[in-house]
Amino acid sequence: MPGLREIQERFSANILDAGAAEILRDVKPGVFEPGLRLQVYRNNVYTGFTEALRAVYPVVEKLVGGRFFLYACNEFIARQPSGSGDLHDFGSEFGPFLAAFEPAGELRYLPDVAQLEWYFHETYHEAGAGVLDLEALGRIPPEQYERLRFQMNPASRLMKSKFPVVEIWRVNQEDFCGEQLVNLDDGGVQLLMIRCGEEIEMHPLQAADFKMLSRIARDDALGDCLRAAQDIDPDFDLSGFLPRFVANQTLVGFAVS
Amino acid sequence: MRGPHYREVVDTGPRVGFFEVHSENFFGRGGVPHDYLERVRRDYPLSFHGVGMSLGSVDPLDPGHLQRLKQLVAIYQPDFVSEHLSWGSFGGRHLNDLLPLPYTEEVVDHLADRVRQAQDFLGRPIMVENVSCYLQFEHTCMSEWEFVAAVAERADCDILLDINNIYVNAHNHEFSADEFLNGIPAHRVREIHLAGHTVKRYEQGAIIIDTHDHRVCPEVWSLYQRSVSLFGPRPTLIEWDSDLPELDVLVEEAAIARNIMEGAGHARVA
Repeated sequence: MPGLREIQERFSANILDAGAAEILRDVKPGVFEPGLRLQVYRNNVYTGFTEALRAVYPVVEKLVGGRFFLYACNEFIARQPSGSGDLHDFGSEFGPFLAAFEPAGELRYLPDVAQLEWYFHETYHEAGAGVLDLEALGRIPPEQYERLRFQMNPASRLMKSKFPVVEIWRVNQEDFCGEQLVNLDDGGVQLLMIRCGEEIEMHPLQAADFKMLSRIARDDALGDCLRAAQDIDPDFDLSGFLPRFVANQTLVGFAVS
Repeated sequence: MRGPHYREVVDTGPRVGFFEVHSENFFGRGGVPHDYLERVRRDYPLSFHGVGMSLGSVDPLDPGHLQRLKQLVAIYQPDFVSEHLSWGSFGGRHLNDLLPLPYTEEVVDHLADRVRQAQDFLGRPIMVENVSCYLQFEHTCMSEWEFVAAVAERADCDILLDINNIYVNAHNHEFSADEFLNGIPAHRVREIHLAGHTVKRYEQGAIIIDTHDHRVCPEVWSLYQRSVSLFGPRPTLIEWDSDLPELDVLVEEAAIARNIMEGAGHARVA
């Protein structure tokens, strides 16, 4: 008599590893043969994963069409098993998978669109944050500015693409009216995504602003962030940058270290 | 309660006794789902229903998963927390489905032990739910109702009885749904689930799949009526997880359940 461990090993192998047949001997035959009964589970499992991907990647699906999307999902599911009991964690690697997925090779922008949609999904479920305390910031003595570290809103993401992914995303929204044309030669984008209440906003950024926020996001001290931004734009200065990114709640806190 | 209905629930405050959510839909650190759940919590009791704890797996319980659930419970103080009598992962690979178990003494012991582990971690009781299934194992040596009752007894936990799942399994495995109901200890039944299903036809016959995408069928309503007379009125949930209808449809279905409960109540009084 097989123990629970053997049953689960054989069952999961049948579902995930292309029909390993050992489990069939453990299943009671009846009106329906064991293979068909396992097939019901395989369908349920694959449908569950596909629906999870469909919920996160509607624009990717629209760009490639329903049938191709299903094909890509099936390939992805077979290669990248879920590692969590929470289905919301599943699919983070879909963008990198698409980048290496030869049948989608012509759509060079597809992995970046997928990355954008994954960030959308993440910020939707991410904690928000309060407003940066400007009065407290004003009390920091100027000699400590160099060592200030700002905190980014947890519900924000930075992303760089060689393609106009925001435009691609925008014209593929369900409520978009107009010509669904995007010129890929329009160039790339350096993007800040941030959730404010229910809305997820996308702000294309200047290169120096993007550099500054990228350095803040990796917890660099203000002096280092500033020098990196000024390497890109010598005229970059904090008096323009700070009020903007405090007001739109990208920067939500600070500490001196 | 599902995402597309959040706003309407908050705006209109439908007349229902409680809301149940999939716990995992609120495993994120915050964001839109939590904003709504906080508002729903102000006006209704809540029930957290998990689909991903994998109580029946031989893989160890995932402490990260339990921790996230514990945090939710601490924030929202739900009336109920429940999980399924099924498994969902092996060797760290998750299938994210409610997979079937053999009904054996080994599995009863395993589940009872896992329910206790989960309850100890969470610091509160959980209910266990019977699942739909599409196969039976050769070495199964007891009926499903004996299995469910034995797990509840050995773990000393309550039962979330899914009437649609009983109907689905009675059809798929040719047993009497009434016999199932009669085999469940009434004092352990704390909540009831109702749902719609899909009949999938093959040359050899039909398999019923538990799809949660239709209204509750007349046969399941009858079975519900019998369960109310056996177990008394219990908080009853209408489950609908795909092809979501307008919220009104769910509220209507909930009203039917309430009428059946109230009808049974009057009958007893009379």
